[in-house]
Amino acid sequence: MRDTEGRGVFGLNTLTHIKSAHEPGRTKVGSAFLQGAAILVISLAISLCVNALRKDGLPLKGDWSPKAQLSGLQSAEEPVVTLDEARALFLTNGAVFIDARPAEVYLSGHIKGALNLPSQEFEEHFSEVMAPVPPDSLIITYCDGESCTLSKDLAMELSARGYGHTRVLVNGWSVWLDSNLPSETGGK
Amino acid sequence: MRSGRYFFLATRLLLGALLLAASVDKILHPEDFAKIVHNYMILPDSLVNIVAISLPWLEGLLGLLLVAGFWLPGAVVLANALLLIFFSALIFNMARGIDVHCGCFSTKITGSPQTSWYLVRDSLFLLLGFAAWLQVFRPRGGARHQALKI
Repeated sequence: MRDTEGRGVFGLNTLTHIKSAHEPGRTKVGSAFLQGAAILVISLAISLCVNALRKDGLPLKGDWSPKAQLSGLQSAEEPVVTLDEARALFLTNGAVFIDARPAEVYLSGHIKGALNLPSQEFEEHFSEVMAPVPPDSLIITYCDGESCTLSKDLAMELSARGYGHTRVLVNGWSVWLDSNLPSETGGK
Repeated sequence: MRSGRYFFLATRLLLGALLLAASVDKILHPEDFAKIVHNYMILPDSLVNIVAISLPWLEGLLGLLLVAGFWLPGAVVLANALLLIFFSALIFNMARGIDVHCGCFSTKITGSPQTSWYLVRDSLFLLLGFAAWLQVFRPRGGARHQALKI
């Protein structure tokens, strides 16, 4: 094995070797800096080459907009529902609202009448929560925050289970509250 | 002081093995890992993919270097920096109430995130990193330095 200063690699430690008898601490810091930079460059080069060669490589700059994240959603409707549409559907009982957040957050406040199916516990609660909801129902999932992915994950899971009319209200809880639309606390 | 020498060797090997193990699933499933990086909601969207592409390879390379005992000063500094960043990200999200799967060893996101367990585990990893840091950077005298070479 190499010693702890890794001498002799690309000549990075030649200077270290000469000085080490007098300034071991300082030269190790210098070695760490040079080696660290080299490690970063090498790992970045390897990762970019492999990513360019593999079939499932990612674009260097991804599209993380809600619409792009829902591009795989098999829904008969436009995957993202606007607040105006959601409000109209709520007032006409035209959709089932499902809160994708954890139960304790749901209990502290949610859209009035919404069911709770936490996307991170989907398998455990799917049968129980979705039993009264026919597969041809229009479903609107929501969570909280522009970047929240729980509602999108839930929509994808529901779509995969045959709920082919599932849409997402992005940043749903916040925009719902901001518009003073009906909400409630506690469980159903 | 042979026991101390073997202790430090073991911590370095363990840290290297952990980093290697942590890199495998992320390298195999870049899209899933990118989603986990995005779920942390810390990076701007434009940086999510490049981090998801490069971070697992950095972990893997650091793991290899630590196990091989090669370029140790650089590898130990970067490994500790990574562990601190991971720990800080968990604390940051815990503080603002965001419960995410850590994506530390697996890109699967089924089941509830166990943030408290992630924090305990990452604390132990930080201790390992600190031990490896001591092995490489603690001041040593000439004869003692020679004796502790691994």
